[in-house]
Amino acid sequence: MSARSEANLRGVPMKPYDLLREGLVVIAVVSVVIVLLAAVFGSPDYPPLTAQEVARKQPVAYLKLVTEYLAGTSDLQTYGPPYTKNPENAQRLFGIAPANVLGVAIPIDARQDFVLKPLAELAVIRPTVKDALGQFQTAADSVRASWIKNYSAALDSAHVVDQSVQLPAGHYGPVPVLMDGMLDVARAGFMEGALDAGSRQPYALDNTKALLFLQGDVESQVAGALDMQGGQWGISHETGNYPGAWWLWPYTFLYQVPVIGNSPNADALAGAIVGLFFVLLLFLPLIPGLNRLPQALKVYRVIWRDWYREHPGS
Amino acid sequence: MNVTRRAQQWIGRSLSMEDALPTQMPTYVNSVVYLFGALTLAALGMLIATGVIIAIFGPGWWHVSRVGHFVNSLHFWSAQTFFLGVLLHMIGKFFMAAWRGGRWPTWAVGMITLGIAVFSGLTGFILQANWDSQWIAGQAKDAMNALGVGPIVNTMNTGQMLTLHVAVLPLFVVCLVGIHLLIVRHEGPVRPIGSEERDS
Repeated sequence: MSARSEANLRGVPMKPYDLLREGLVVIAVVSVVIVLLAAVFGSPDYPPLTAQEVARKQPVAYLKLVTEYLAGTSDLQTYGPPYTKNPENAQRLFGIAPANVLGVAIPIDARQDFVLKPLAELAVIRPTVKDALGQFQTAADSVRASWIKNYSAALDSAHVVDQSVQLPAGHYGPVPVLMDGMLDVARAGFMEGALDAGSRQPYALDNTKALLFLQGDVESQVAGALDMQGGQWGISHETGNYPGAWWLWPYTFLYQVPVIGNSPNADALAGAIVGLFFVLLLFLPLIPGLNRLPQALKVYRVIWRDWYREHPGS
Repeated sequence: MNVTRRAQQWIGRSLSMEDALPTQMPTYVNSVVYLFGALTLAALGMLIATGVIIAIFGPGWWHVSRVGHFVNSLHFWSAQTFFLGVLLHMIGKFFMAAWRGGRWPTWAVGMITLGIAVFSGLTGFILQANWDSQWIAGQAKDAMNALGVGPIVNTMNTGQMLTLHVAVLPLFVVCLVGIHLLIVRHEGPVRPIGSEERDS
């Protein structure tokens, strides 16, 4: 034994023990339990939400999303670092915005990346989109803004007939052609590919743009229907009746506290509190008072009840 | 100075064969609480074994293969068992005040391992390539961005999540668990509260 063990165990009665046998028994039992759980319950695999699915099932909602990106009015376009130059929108802790330290490290220009670039690719094979894109890009800013505003307002009274989105007559310029093109790209299943395509084609290991595309109202509606929003204990459970990351309950609990969950700095607050809690646990053995808590709670007398029965003077 | 000889001497003093593979234990090591660590280790072993199988066939395999889905289910339930074991182990050691006698480093290494394991679990959920991972990646990115680490750990960069989950984080977890076990065996099991004067 090491000198440390010798000193610790001096005078302590010992009993025979077989580490490997005990270890093998535990491994066998745990393995059987895990195999049974996997065989009986399986694991969740709810398919991802795609632009194709949204465009086919909710074409108007899809067009509203794309129109927001074209107009520059989506939340993502004023998110702040690391995506956009809006440092005022970064979450803060005691007046400090940690996100502003590294700044716009993952620049996202949603109008270009999510709308105009996919349309430019579609324009290669569809002349009507090419002409509409040319008309849109050469128009004055005020004219473009007017077209988008009119089109966006008209979407509220749009009708879907045989998969075609029909709008009341109005001054939309080339916007309906462009938006129909975006609808077709998504319905064909090309949207995520167009968003993820980078300078390293055909490799697309970074899905930041494709995953950001449906963020916001569209994903929130799905998450709400599946009880997965922040106010519904968010990411600590999975779809269906599966236990998710239940070990994150202390973290997701914080979002249930109104003063945190409703704060514009909710993520920063929750992250900081969990970080502090972790540090507290890490150094708990060194904190006077807290490190004597087990002695006060006396649960140890249950754990070592045989020892205390045999050594009542301990 | 012969560094190798010094290392031999240090290892010999720190960890005997009886420490590493004990054939006897103090009589007070007699509670189900002592099994929670072994439960965690066994689940970690299953996690690694099933993770290696999934890694061999690739992250998309389990969506298109019944065998793959079953192996994914084994991985999923191994993770559940692992975190259950960790939680029970930690609670047990808390109630035993197992940090007594200068054992804070053991507790600290365990806590840091837990922190890395939680992050490893997050990257695993993000890698599922389904609705759960899509939603979790989106929610987690807000937390990362709010804390200023979003550009370093981009939860929407699937390639980064993959390498973190299958290489970097498991390496840290396994190394730290190894260090944790070596320290535990070097020190021997903490004595019952009140059974020694050196309780602190």
